[in-house]
Amino acid sequence: MKRRPRGGLGRFALRTRVTLAFGLGTLLLSSLLVVLSYSVVRENLINERQSTATRQVFVNARVMRDALRTAEPDVPRLLASLETPAGSRPLLFQQGRWFAQSFTRGRDALPLDLRERVIGGAPATMRYVFDDRMALAIGVPIPAVDAAYFEVADLSELGETLDFLRFSLLGAAAVTTVAGAALGAWVAVRVLRPLSAVALAASAIAEGDLAIRLEGGSDTELASLAASFNEMAGALQERIERDARFASDVSHELRSPLTTLASSIEVLESRRDELSERGQAALDLLSADIERFTSMVEDLLEISRFEPGKGNLHLEPVWLAELVRYVLEAHHTTDDVRLVIAENAAEAFVSADKRRLIRVIGNLIENADSHGEGIRQVVVEGDNPVRVTIDDLGAGVDPEDRDLIFERFARGRGSHNRSGSEGAGLGLALVAEHVALHRGRVWVEDAPEGGARFVVELPRFDPSVPDDEGHQPLDQAVEEVT
Amino acid sequence: MGTRILTVEDDDRIRQSLRLALEDEGWEVDEAATGEDAVERFAQHPADVVLIDLMLPGMDGFEVCRNIRRNSDVPILMVTARTDTHDVVAGLEAGADDYITKPYAPKELSARVRALLRRVRTGDSASPHQRFGDLEIAPQEGQVKRGGIEVHLTKTEFRLLCELASNPGRVFSREQLLERVWGYGYFGDGRLVDVHVRRLRTKVEADPANPRHVVTVRGLGYKIQP
Repeated sequence: MKRRPRGGLGRFALRTRVTLAFGLGTLLLSSLLVVLSYSVVRENLINERQSTATRQVFVNARVMRDALRTAEPDVPRLLASLETPAGSRPLLFQQGRWFAQSFTRGRDALPLDLRERVIGGAPATMRYVFDDRMALAIGVPIPAVDAAYFEVADLSELGETLDFLRFSLLGAAAVTTVAGAALGAWVAVRVLRPLSAVALAASAIAEGDLAIRLEGGSDTELASLAASFNEMAGALQERIERDARFASDVSHELRSPLTTLASSIEVLESRRDELSERGQAALDLLSADIERFTSMVEDLLEISRFEPGKGNLHLEPVWLAELVRYVLEAHHTTDDVRLVIAENAAEAFVSADKRRLIRVIGNLIENADSHGEGIRQVVVEGDNPVRVTIDDLGAGVDPEDRDLIFERFARGRGSHNRSGSEGAGLGLALVAEHVALHRGRVWVEDAPEGGARFVVELPRFDPSVPDDEGHQPLDQAVEEVT
Repeated sequence: MGTRILTVEDDDRIRQSLRLALEDEGWEVDEAATGEDAVERFAQHPADVVLIDLMLPGMDGFEVCRNIRRNSDVPILMVTARTDTHDVVAGLEAGADDYITKPYAPKELSARVRALLRRVRTGDSASPHQRFGDLEIAPQEGQVKRGGIEVHLTKTEFRLLCELASNPGRVFSREQLLERVWGYGYFGDGRLVDVHVRRLRTKVEADPANPRHVVTVRGLGYKIQP
């Protein structure tokens, strides 16, 4: 499958990405709002203050002009008598002399630039920072008396208001961002919930449960997703079933001619002496391959059984160690192969379809004989699960092939190293399927002494659970017998 | 008179090859290609063993089994498609004594036929007359009575009952019963025992769902008790 290269947020899970995107979005929006509203409010406040102050300055300048025209004006008294807004200090420049009302708001409190412009004859306004405080200076020339009138207003109070406003707005933005992220997380969970249902269903299908379908629900988009998914699952199921049915049908059709062949060869075998030497050799080849053919068809029939699952599983408590011993003895003479039964597994029963379990152990033994140059030892051990390990004398199985060999008609890449001309065929695939039906596990690893080690792990039969037919538990039965 | 085997098989060539193989064993072979033909032939000319393919056109193998079983305890060997289908149990329920799966080796087939032929009704002459509650077993006469009334058992059911009765109270595993009654060893199909026990119960138990004489010992097998 082709995958898009991922960058940026793509590195994170979708849920994280949605949460992050919501958080970033709300952060961006709220910051924008904060900046906008802060600057608008700030401008308004300052402008209002400035125009009020400017009006007052002109009024005061006129008062000063009239007063200065009189003879011997008392400038400091005049300044003190002026009406100024709170925090505003008047200054007067007349004939090269500066008059101020307060020591802190003297000539130096005015920016040089402003002073020059106003004394030069133009009224001016300037906002600046003086003594770490926001200040507003307004100057008006009074040419009639060769003077200039100034007022310096302390805007720090306004600054405090603005600081408070900024703090509140930033706080609100932070809260909004967190709320946005939370909303994003919630939406992600809500929206992704159907997606996790799809993921669950898909993995169930991957594990072989082809009958699983999604429920559409009322949402049209989700319903269409569910419908497409179900359509896909249905098509897949149909296809797999058709393939299985085909394999099953083919092997069923092969049974009849095989039966005829086997019976006829038997008749020939009993008349072996009537055949020439060449005829006998041909007959031997024929019967050997009919046998091989038959066992292949049997495997195929068994593996392509149309109805998978437990429907035709005939479970009964099976004494594992005994079964392994019987199967081993059917293939080998007793002193041929080492069978080790650990103490903890000696009495172990497993709930199994005996016929299938015989097939499992038998196929593993045959595999060791034909592909592993014989068996080193067979061990039954473990309390729960119970394990059967079969070590062979061969070259082992390449790590890359270890899953592959349990697939149908798989021939591992290393198979050319193995003896015997017959492919692995279906034997190990059958083992894997049967073991899975018994809720067990099978795998291959390296045996410590070299060679391959096949391990079958089965859950131990729990005698305290009564079976479907309500038979009494085993321990009770044993007591009854003894 | 030699041993007669009736083969019921719709495939012409299988039938011919079976005749050749079975005649080599020294048995007389009678053939039927359809279920209807088989029932008719058997009625006219009873065989010693009947071999029935379950998959027949028209009257199927199960029906032939039931039909023959109605009047005869002849050993029936059925040929099934596969071992893991319900066919096996259904065939045994219909009255078959044993089964073999296709494709089968002729050696296996003749071994099964011989095992069926060996299954005679009467037990060892040494076997005593036994009583389990209302159940009476007379091995030498080949008779079983429940409440004084004779019940008709097939040869297989009879052998099964006699084996259990040979050691009252002892638990027989499926493997032991398979070996003693069917001639299989460890690898026989336990369902043969289970289905025959079930059928036996319908004949010898007052309440087959709650058996009192032929009881299951879970995980071990079966036993007979008074």
